[in-house]
Amino acid sequence: MNIGIIGSGAWGKALATLTAKAGHAPRIGFRGTRPSGFPGTPNLRTLTEESELLIIAVPAEGVADAIQQAQPGAGTQVVLATRGLQPQTGHWLSDLVLENTACRRVGSLAGPAMASEVVRGRPTALVIASPFDGVCSATQTALHSEHCRVYTTHDLQGVELAGAMVSVLAVAVGIAHGVDLGVGAKGVIVTRGIAEATRLGTALGANPQTFSGLAGVGDLVSCASHADHPSFSTGVKIARGGSAASRVIEEARSVLSLAERHDVDLPLTQAALAIMTGKLRPKLAFNDLMRREARPEPF
Amino acid sequence: MPTHTLISPSQKRIDTALVHRIGQSLDEMKDDQLNLYLADTVYKERHRLQQEKDPFDDPEKEAIESLARSLLSGKKEMTSAAEHLVRSYSHEIHNRFSERTFGAATKLLPPALNRLLSSSGPSKLLGAGFDAASRIVVQGPVDQIRSLSENHTLVYAPTHLSNLDSPLLGYALHAAGLPPCIYGAGLNLFTNPAMSFFMSRLGAYTVDRRKKHRLYKDVLKAYSTELIGLGAHSLFFPGGTRSRSGLIESSLKRGLLGTAITAWQEGLAENRDKPEIIVVPCTITFSLVLEAETLIEDSLASEGKARYIITDDEFSEPSTVMQYGRRVLNTDSSVIIRFGDPIDLIGNKVDDSGRSMDNHGRSFDRREYVSNRSGELVRDLQRDRMYTNQLAQSLCKAYQQDNVVLPTHLAAMAGWTALKRRYPRLDTYQLVLLSSHERWVDRGETLTILNDLLQQVRKMEEQGRVHTHLPTTADDLLQKAVASFSRFHRNATLEFEDWRILVDPKLALYYSNRLAGYRLALTEKA
Repeated sequence: MNIGIIGSGAWGKALATLTAKAGHAPRIGFRGTRPSGFPGTPNLRTLTEESELLIIAVPAEGVADAIQQAQPGAGTQVVLATRGLQPQTGHWLSDLVLENTACRRVGSLAGPAMASEVVRGRPTALVIASPFDGVCSATQTALHSEHCRVYTTHDLQGVELAGAMVSVLAVAVGIAHGVDLGVGAKGVIVTRGIAEATRLGTALGANPQTFSGLAGVGDLVSCASHADHPSFSTGVKIARGGSAASRVIEEARSVLSLAERHDVDLPLTQAALAIMTGKLRPKLAFNDLMRREARPEPF
Repeated sequence: MPTHTLISPSQKRIDTALVHRIGQSLDEMKDDQLNLYLADTVYKERHRLQQEKDPFDDPEKEAIESLARSLLSGKKEMTSAAEHLVRSYSHEIHNRFSERTFGAATKLLPPALNRLLSSSGPSKLLGAGFDAASRIVVQGPVDQIRSLSENHTLVYAPTHLSNLDSPLLGYALHAAGLPPCIYGAGLNLFTNPAMSFFMSRLGAYTVDRRKKHRLYKDVLKAYSTELIGLGAHSLFFPGGTRSRSGLIESSLKRGLLGTAITAWQEGLAENRDKPEIIVVPCTITFSLVLEAETLIEDSLASEGKARYIITDDEFSEPSTVMQYGRRVLNTDSSVIIRFGDPIDLIGNKVDDSGRSMDNHGRSFDRREYVSNRSGELVRDLQRDRMYTNQLAQSLCKAYQQDNVVLPTHLAAMAGWTALKRRYPRLDTYQLVLLSSHERWVDRGETLTILNDLLQQVRKMEEQGRVHTHLPTTADDLLQKAVASFSRFHRNATLEFEDWRILVDPKLALYYSNRLAGYRLALTEKA
């Protein structure tokens, strides 16, 4: 299968490694320096035209530009391997493809795979979400091997939302770690954070089980257990007096705006945003959370 | 005005095609799947026939029992019994269709419409001074649609509020010089003799919505696929049934809509002369809806009791239809039929030549959606279902944008909002049960709300999010709406009484629901 990967960063190369391990010869679309180890082209349009499956693995803020250059058409299958929502608008990343091109067959790839571990050959798993069985099976063919299991789901919005919320929740876990709240507190943030994601996802029509899968619990546990993970380390930095990157603040705001529109309460995300924007000190924010009214667990 | 004809295949051809199509899908099933599929038909039909006890159903009963006996035999016997039933359904669906009477009816359409709305039966077709051309407003890109119809098969996809939708749309097509279309009409619509006379001559094929089993639905889909494939312009109400609540459709049935994408790919595969199919969204907006009282009652009934088929509404009473024709339709702009921008089967807009365009206006070859990189067609039913979902989303979006806000909608929303503010602790179900002496609201407050709504709707119109047909001021709008409401319903939706306004909560809710999808924000009461 002809596979094109846009993005020559660590994640783009990790995905190229996985496709190569699955028996394919991927090509990488890049800007700037030519990536080593894989054939590449700076011409994203040509790469798109020649690929049966196009995987976009650039940061969320670069997706719109990549799509604009690649111009996927009616016959292209596009997979977004980027976590998060659209910067500024807070809309789904997949909408960037659907609203700006003729392409309709779109998917989102997520899960606990860490680029640094993938290139070292450590086992991992991913989930591909698309309403189209064809996109799911093409992605499975492209990536599934003894090194990486690829699962499928039709719940595109659920997986996209899980990605956005994991980024924010991993920062919250990092903050808890930074202020030394203990392992128990981190467990609470992970489970109650997933409960928040599930509540919002359900209100948006997503499958609640998605959030207990690879894109939800799987990804969050992975992010929150790795000291070098950008979101987790951002949280630790904030706890120790540093500032948050504007991207994660924007992500939290977008998620909360979605929640407000659907009348869903997200206390952990709200607390994380308050800490990231300097409105509340971490310990004070966690104290407020602990003082909330008692309630049954599923809610 | 161009002369249009309607493709009308012979009964024999339709029988053969449907038996072939259904036979193919039965062949693909394993024995146990086929048994289950046909057992569903036997079970549901036995149940229906037992409930209805219609003596005219006796031949059907025999066919069902024969099918039941075949379930104990092998695949060959089951398929043969199913084919017998398919032929019977083919006759039932196609039998009202007549090219000869269709041709005559098309020429007689405007006077026939006048008479339909002013007579109690075909034997009493008397003039009533009804001038359809000045009463029914037709809007939208009709020149583009007319031009596209020359090289494309059109699928009209309108919103659905009333049983009068299909004849009025038939009139609109004629008035705009657009080609006529075939459409499925429920058996219950033939209870009104004038309507039956009219519809059976306007390309209507028969749909028996009492038959809920898969085989019947598959025969209907096969019929639609066959006719569209032959180039017959078609009309589906994608909402499936009349909107009970008055809301604009926000979720659509995909069954018949999905037949178009199958017909398109068959046309491409067989290199037909005119394989391309274009969908035309359409909104039908009434100042007052004939069946409003029955529909909102049904909508408010508990979910389990809501009826899919209503046989005892205002439409089934010829004198009520006549009254409606005289009092409501015989006023200016009482009905606005607006055609939306034509779209392809995936929901993309098309240019004047029918080429699909993305949101930036760049045209592209839509055949790439269904072919591989070598240009060979690839059949994929799951993919096609997802494409049809996307088409449905585009239609829902178009319905919102092409909806025309009339004074009755906005005034009803103001009245309903004022009532909610007067009783802030009551929910919808409690509000609609208010007794008559509790149903009044302050006229000044209602006007303030109306003014607020009017400004918002005007702004939305500037942004291209909706269309309006409204007077300039809130005061004029309220006067006009109250005058309209007094014309037809047993209880006026809004009625002036000195400094206050009497509100019929059910009707106010029904008419205001037309605007519910726009999330209009109202300034809270001071």
